[in-house]
Amino acid sequence: MAREFQRGHKAKISDLTPGTDLYVGVQIAGPGLSFDISCFGLDANEQLSDDRYFIFFNQPKSPEESIQLLGAQSGDTESFRVTLDRVPANIHKLSFTATVDGAGQMSQVGPGYIRIVAGGDEVVRYAFNGSEFSTERAVMLGDFYLKDVWRFAAVGQGFDGGLEALLKNFGGEVAEETPAAAPPQAAAPSFAPPAQAAPAPSFGAPAAPQPAPSFGTPPSAPAPAPTPQQQMHAAPTIIAPMTPPGGTVPPPPAPPAPYGQPAQPQQPQFGQQPHQPQFGQVPGQAPAPYGQQPPSPYGQQPPGMPPGGQGMPGGVPQAAGAGLQAALQPYKETATGQRWTPQNQQLMRVDLTMGGTGVLARQGSMVMYQGKVDFSYKGAGFAGRMVGNATGQEMQLMRCTGRGQVFLAEEGSHLHAIELQGDGICVSAENVLAFDESLQYEVRRIEGHGIPGGALFTMQFQGTGTVVVKTHGTPVVLPVTPTTFADCNAVVAWSSASQVIVSSQVRLRRNAYPGHSGETVNLQFRGAPGNFIVVQPYEV
Amino acid sequence: MNQQLAGYAPTPVTARMENHGHSMLKVAMATGQDLYARTGSMVAYEGFIQYEPNPPAVRQIASQWITGEGAPLMKCTGDGLLYLADYGADVVVVNLNNDSLSVNGTNVLAFDGHLTWGVERVKGLAKFAGQGLWNVCISGTGWVAITSRGTPIVVDCGRGEDETYVDPDALVAWSPNLKVKGKRSFKASSLIGRGSGEAFQMAFSGQGIVVVQPSEDSTDRLRVRH
Repeated sequence: MAREFQRGHKAKISDLTPGTDLYVGVQIAGPGLSFDISCFGLDANEQLSDDRYFIFFNQPKSPEESIQLLGAQSGDTESFRVTLDRVPANIHKLSFTATVDGAGQMSQVGPGYIRIVAGGDEVVRYAFNGSEFSTERAVMLGDFYLKDVWRFAAVGQGFDGGLEALLKNFGGEVAEETPAAAPPQAAAPSFAPPAQAAPAPSFGAPAAPQPAPSFGTPPSAPAPAPTPQQQMHAAPTIIAPMTPPGGTVPPPPAPPAPYGQPAQPQQPQFGQQPHQPQFGQVPGQAPAPYGQQPPSPYGQQPPGMPPGGQGMPGGVPQAAGAGLQAALQPYKETATGQRWTPQNQQLMRVDLTMGGTGVLARQGSMVMYQGKVDFSYKGAGFAGRMVGNATGQEMQLMRCTGRGQVFLAEEGSHLHAIELQGDGICVSAENVLAFDESLQYEVRRIEGHGIPGGALFTMQFQGTGTVVVKTHGTPVVLPVTPTTFADCNAVVAWSSASQVIVSSQVRLRRNAYPGHSGETVNLQFRGAPGNFIVVQPYEV
Repeated sequence: MNQQLAGYAPTPVTARMENHGHSMLKVAMATGQDLYARTGSMVAYEGFIQYEPNPPAVRQIASQWITGEGAPLMKCTGDGLLYLADYGADVVVVNLNNDSLSVNGTNVLAFDGHLTWGVERVKGLAKFAGQGLWNVCISGTGWVAITSRGTPIVVDCGRGEDETYVDPDALVAWSPNLKVKGKRSFKASSLIGRGSGEAFQMAFSGQGIVVVQPSEDSTDRLRVRH
């Protein structure tokens, strides 16, 4: 499930997806409007110092092809492929913009979005609609920007002029009147360009051990021993020159192969249908095709897929072609070489060999571990006892130390790793799953009449490290405005700079409607812009 | 109304077993291709399908199952489409190709009747975890559907020199050729609180895979109902 961003939200790409090969889709439409969607590659001063990094319909890719325009597909009005690790060092920001072509203004646009898809899964979506804009003729939808690491920000900022004004704003020059009507379809390179001499990253490379799984590569553990499944992959892909399985994978050195398409008769067909790219497709496994609608790990229907163990439609019934390994391939462990790696929405892997410090986790949350890991009882300490005494349920922690990987999960709830870099966050105590021992934490108590147990206990984390927060269901992240309220049972976390007030709206209601109203106590949040709260769709 | 619901219509049958959404299994039944399914897992069917709970064959194979109660498997025969589900758990369809897989008893949803299967007890372990006490080892060439509470994860056990330790409540399936043993990793002091938590793990070693679910809820919902 994708994370829904609101205007102004930011996140590290690495927190969203381990991959760096991203698909960016923009959907924007309005009655009678047509849009130019483009991407500006800006330098450290937010200037377009190199025209070649203005990616639009007339210039569908950057020189080294780290940014490519793909055209309309999969419900997106326009789409891009961005390979972040190949973006040159002087580019610090990729700004995705939409401008009205011809007459019209942004307030007329209907619901739209910008989304990032990685490995077939939509990881982020920022939805907007015309009511957020007025007479603007252009809008900056979202940015990838480099601040230590690549991050994504949902911008959603309108801009008065059109494309030219936007270009001038970025320091570019319009050499001529924006060339009209070069149909993007024609310019957009398909994902399987028939004869492309330039380096084509090996999408769908065989599941070789890689530091970071590239697109379409099924997540695979860096297994020294090639399993039968890997051999299976090597077979069909051997025609397309790609990185041999087993080696560490450098950036692919100019293979003429179009995106790892196994040489199959499908090839020409792709050239004709540039809008339905299906790369990264290796027989015998089930990578969701890039640019396909978001998840549903099963039930995807990539055409031409051999009948996989997933029971994917699209093949001949039956026939034992899949085998155990192929069927379970979508659920393979993901290794990214990072300390905290989400394996899926509900499972988090922490690699204790990285970072050196231990991890404190809720007791009972370990589902599996590999290696030599010690689990020791972590006394709740003074703060914990305080929680325990007051609420009757002590927060039981265990300390995981040693060398190995620990997999954490609890009751299938969704897990979110929040990385703190000197900032602070308050998390409702029962929603904390695990955190780095390097973080400082203290218990804060929010008192108010009507809160079950007399008070709401939250843990405030500060410092540098990661907190894993669990939520039941997909949470909503709300910016703190003057009128932000949340049910004290449903609120999960908030940025520690915001101030919490217990509001007693109940009284008013009680006067209005005799009898008991459903809602007990609400918390009101106040804070400077930039603060946020996280609420889950579940009232504990 | 039909338009909104149309998206949930069954897709054309292309394989013996298919997912319908995350948590429903669709099996194309045909005469002569029997199916064993968890008793009580049927949510719908189309066509002529008969169910025989606790058939003699099962009773024989599963004779060492817990005394008294019958085996929670039913034999399904006939022609048509059969829909199975287990209280919203994720369903994973596996097409065995001369492979074998050992599945925790509560996580078996259905498997082809012609597969070789047997019931095992994991030595001295499962009873500590308050588990279903049994696991089914299935091998051959055919289809198996297993359930998982939440999206499962598959780990290569044969990675590194260390063993893989799994919370028995979260264990779904594993390669039968793995060596299994029990491990007690907590000190007594930590047993206060969540007693069934991390006190015991199953240690796997060897070459093979382990499938784990992101939840320690291993209650047998289908069974509880009876």
